[in-house]
Amino acid sequence: MTDDPTTTRQSAYLNASLREGTPRLVGAGPVPALATRGVTKHFPGVVANDRVSFEVMPGEIHALLGENGAGKTTLCNVLTGLYRPDEGYVEVRGEQAAFHSPRDAHDAGIFMVHQHFTLVQPLTVAQNVILGWSRRRGIWFSPRRVEREIAEIAEQFHVPIDPSTKIWQLSMGEQQRVEILKALYRGARTLILDEPTTVLTPQEVRQLFETLRGMAASGTSVVFISHKLPEVLAVSDRVTVLRAGKAMGTVRTADTDAKSLAHLMVGRDIMLGRKGSSGKTNAAQAVLSLSDVSATGDLGTPAVVGVCLEVHPGEIVGVAGVAGNGQRELAEVIAGERPHTAGTITIAGRPQHGTPWEAIDAGLGYVPEERMGVGVAPGLTIADNLRLKSYREDGHGPLLHAKRGLRNATELIERFDIVARGPKTLARELSGGNVQRLLLARELSSHAKVLVAASPTRGLDVASTESVRQLLTESADRGVGVLLISEDLDEILDLADRIAVMYRGRVVGVLDRDGADIDHIGLMMSGVAS
Amino acid sequence: MIRFAAREKVPRWLNYAVPLGSVILAVIVAGIFLAATGHNPLTTYKNIIQASITQPGAFSSTLVSMTPLLFTGLAAAVAFRMRIWNIGSEGQLYMGAVGASGVGLLLHNLPGPVLIVAMMAGGIAAGTLWAAVPGALRAYLNTNEILTTLMLNYVAANIMYYLIFDSNSYWRDLTSPSARVFPQGKNLASTANWPPLQLGSVTIPFGLLLAAGFAVLLWGVIRSTKYGFEMRVVADSPPAARYAGIKTRRKILSLMALSGGIAGLGGASQVGDFSHVLDPRGLEQAGFGYTGIVVAALGRYNPVAVVVTSFFIGMLVNAGYALQGPGFPIGVTGTMEGILLFCVLGSEIFTRYHVTIRAPRRATAIRPVPKPPAAVLPASAHEEVPS
Amino acid sequence: MTGINANIGISIIVSAILYGTPLVFAGIGELFAERSGVLNLGVEGMMLMGAVTAFLVSQRLHGPNALVLLVAVAVAILASTAMAAIHAFVTITLRANQIVSGLTLTIFAGVIGLSSYIGESNNLGAIAGKHQFSELNVFGLAHLPVIGPILFHQSAMVYLSWLLVILAVLYLYRTRVGLHLRSVGESPRSADAMGINVTRYRYIHTLLGGALAGMGGSLFTLQIATNWIDGITAGAGWIAIALVIYSFWRPELLIIGAYLFGAFTSFGFDLQARGVISIPSEFWSALPYLMTIIALVLVSLGSIRRRLGTPAGLGIPYVRGES
Repeated sequence: MTDDPTTTRQSAYLNASLREGTPRLVGAGPVPALATRGVTKHFPGVVANDRVSFEVMPGEIHALLGENGAGKTTLCNVLTGLYRPDEGYVEVRGEQAAFHSPRDAHDAGIFMVHQHFTLVQPLTVAQNVILGWSRRRGIWFSPRRVEREIAEIAEQFHVPIDPSTKIWQLSMGEQQRVEILKALYRGARTLILDEPTTVLTPQEVRQLFETLRGMAASGTSVVFISHKLPEVLAVSDRVTVLRAGKAMGTVRTADTDAKSLAHLMVGRDIMLGRKGSSGKTNAAQAVLSLSDVSATGDLGTPAVVGVCLEVHPGEIVGVAGVAGNGQRELAEVIAGERPHTAGTITIAGRPQHGTPWEAIDAGLGYVPEERMGVGVAPGLTIADNLRLKSYREDGHGPLLHAKRGLRNATELIERFDIVARGPKTLARELSGGNVQRLLLARELSSHAKVLVAASPTRGLDVASTESVRQLLTESADRGVGVLLISEDLDEILDLADRIAVMYRGRVVGVLDRDGADIDHIGLMMSGVAS
Repeated sequence: MIRFAAREKVPRWLNYAVPLGSVILAVIVAGIFLAATGHNPLTTYKNIIQASITQPGAFSSTLVSMTPLLFTGLAAAVAFRMRIWNIGSEGQLYMGAVGASGVGLLLHNLPGPVLIVAMMAGGIAAGTLWAAVPGALRAYLNTNEILTTLMLNYVAANIMYYLIFDSNSYWRDLTSPSARVFPQGKNLASTANWPPLQLGSVTIPFGLLLAAGFAVLLWGVIRSTKYGFEMRVVADSPPAARYAGIKTRRKILSLMALSGGIAGLGGASQVGDFSHVLDPRGLEQAGFGYTGIVVAALGRYNPVAVVVTSFFIGMLVNAGYALQGPGFPIGVTGTMEGILLFCVLGSEIFTRYHVTIRAPRRATAIRPVPKPPAAVLPASAHEEVPS
Repeated sequence: MTGINANIGISIIVSAILYGTPLVFAGIGELFAERSGVLNLGVEGMMLMGAVTAFLVSQRLHGPNALVLLVAVAVAILASTAMAAIHAFVTITLRANQIVSGLTLTIFAGVIGLSSYIGESNNLGAIAGKHQFSELNVFGLAHLPVIGPILFHQSAMVYLSWLLVILAVLYLYRTRVGLHLRSVGESPRSADAMGINVTRYRYIHTLLGGALAGMGGSLFTLQIATNWIDGITAGAGWIAIALVIYSFWRPELLIIGAYLFGAFTSFGFDLQARGVISIPSEFWSALPYLMTIIALVLVSLGSIRRRLGTPAGLGIPYVRGES
């Protein structure tokens, strides 16, 4: 762990990058700037990458397209040295490379801009760029000289940014540019961007594309991870589609269109729908109703935009979409954990003003995306967690009835098959699947009228996934209205009666499950159709 | 290079073994300190036990030392377990003393029991108010309570000094001849003396009974009431509390107020049980508030455990005063307290983490083996920490 | 009339500098520690250790004044740094609660602790100091009106403190290491991602804080009071902590605050003695703390916080991969 990592190797690469980049011509044809050859990566129970091969040419903008879980991020983590592939290898400029750490990847000129920025808010752009490593040696730095230096680089790579502004003064798009600048300053030849437009406004997206084109024109290669078809079509030269860990193919963007890409991305056989989903039209009054609801995200950008949605008793409405399109914020808004800036939310006929206790009172059950620490208090016992919300109704006075609580807990543990030593076990000792069962046990036994379940089977093993899905179905059969938010399209296709697709904070369409066209859904998820 | 890796499962026995081990370590380290400075550790420990328990009157003196520490220890425990860092129990105690002595002087005509209850109320009210200000600032403006409560300690001290030394206030004794030369407080009437309980040769201060009762009450509240349940949820995971619909801001304010009230009662006890006058110098030198935090930390913020730890620290403090002299400078007390607490503090990590010590490898990987993607592992929550 | 007022003014300023200099040392030290994200509430204890060890050396060591003072301060630095090392190890490596650890340090080293022990076991109480810092006559200009006594008639430590502030400003804002420090305090995660060793920075700056606190403490027994009493610093350590916040973690503001608070300390006595103002001395004593509370409230009001505020990582143990 050293502070000042100027190795001779790195300076050598640096010097190389400062010269106008021209690919070496070896043998016949241009050499890819970066390539993976048969890269396979396993994780417990999952094959994240399955013999994936693709190439990025110098000066090319190459998009990696796929749904959640398709393996895009894993592949890029392999490219940047964060993971080591189980099979296959990474090739840099025609030579096989073995990265042991991100530093090795940096030495090879490969940098990644993540979704979460690592910027220090009160410092200026220039200071953030030189943080940890500077081209000049010496103790002193003059803010002005550094700013000039960064301004030059910014101009050279067509990244419009004022180096003297402080980070907290910048918009998301501008902060992203700082992250890009950091990579360029350190001699990036290949820049990988992970879902870069998630936090950007449409104008900022356009500016980003201009920047990327400028960089590509000067010889830098760009790998652009995305699930958004319009953007991929707009900015990339070639596209590689990943599905379920496999590379489905690489095409030139000019030679393809949205429909074919969507099919590559999502294409699957039509699944059978929910048993008992009789297609009956539900005339009963909606238990959950959102009318033109909008909300702002953590970073200040709009996360939920004008959403209209209804859930009726006994039905499962699935919210499909790639993660990061506002689903989490939507769940939080409904649960009262996030204020909504516009529109009305009604739970069981009661309008909501945006507090959790109001929602709970009105009959909302909520299984949040973050289980340990939000849905479940890790240091409390199972019994305590089971009455996390219902403790208020326990008796009349201020006292809690411990014995009754334990009895209830034991009963629920049995009914919902929670594997644990007893009701007094601490929640943090439970496995993921059991935590989820705990959550569902609590929410489903609480006479809730509406259940919002966010990514309920994420991270669970097969058996737990099955039982969770069954619990959801059963509760719908009993008359609860279920809003199922999931990144797993299969799951939604399996369980939902109606499917709403979210893209960029909007509900771009609501379809009945019966007769839904999968490709159409895929297009909606990627922002192309509505 | 020392590496810590989180344990997956915390074996129950570790929760007892580690604190016990750290106390043993502290005894050893303190023994080394004593030996290195020319004192025989075993003799010293024996003297401490004699001076604080076995000698005639020693046990009662220890109880006297223990009483304020139990109050401030409970005050700190109540707040700290909720991650509300109230280090203002010192000032809250001062204000409690001011309040109680003021009430005691004002209402001196009332019969004993009523007067005593009034003093208690005065002390609690003053302490509560003194804590409510930083409490509100923390609850609603998220102002760092560590620093606000600390600052208010000094303001409270100055107020005390002003009342006795620099003004002709109600608290000041202006009549007796000695008082004109040396500023001092007005003595309270003897009806305002809080009645101790005599058990054989042991005198138990009334305040101690109050405090012990409070400890049990608190423990009961935490375990068995809805309010206590909410406390526990907020203490464990503030995001989960919010998710469950608990009004966290109100909780924070009410807990700060409670903490201040307990400390204020401790100040009232100082006046009613022991000094019977407002004594700024004595209160300031004693540092009950800060020692109370040590007591609470040793007891891991559990009210019943705090009773035990306040007794032991009370022993140490009392022995310090009793043995004070060329063979046993007063500084030994604080040094030993410090050694004890550092050992306990430093060992807490071992319950949750597994430690390995190995020679530093020439690391090529600058990051530990990364976690598999979120698809495989459940997400983990962020801890809310004081700003 | 003007002569008398000028005299009062000058004597106030001179007092302010005298009482404020230990605050400058301890304050800058704590500023560095907090800038790296470590809150050290043990300043009072560290200062007392510095005071007592410096006095001990000045009593026992024989030699020319300058040498004795130099060794005394050096020993003070060693003692207080050792104290800081305990706090650093317990909070950084063993990840204990910084608040409790700091308070423990104050108890361990403070009025009924180690410093008192050292004082008593060496019989340092109530004996006259043998060596002290006296005012120098720089360039022979001490006789100049007004600026003479203020600028050219100070002790070596005062001049050292001025140098310290200048160096601190340069360090923080003009060196790369200072830049790294600021990032460690603001966003340890980002600093770590950029290859900066957060742990090392925290250790170094906490120890540095200890060293400076010791220097500040030594002034009490070597200049201000020239003898040893238990707890001679009388809360200066706490004022130093308040100062760091009050100055929004900026050294150039801290020295002004230190002199301001130093003036308050002497105000009460001074003005009362002259019967000029009837505001009680306790008011002046309490004023620094009240002002700090107001500053704290301001700092916590959102927008100001970003511009002027607390290092965002202050008080939180940094663990890579968690949080």
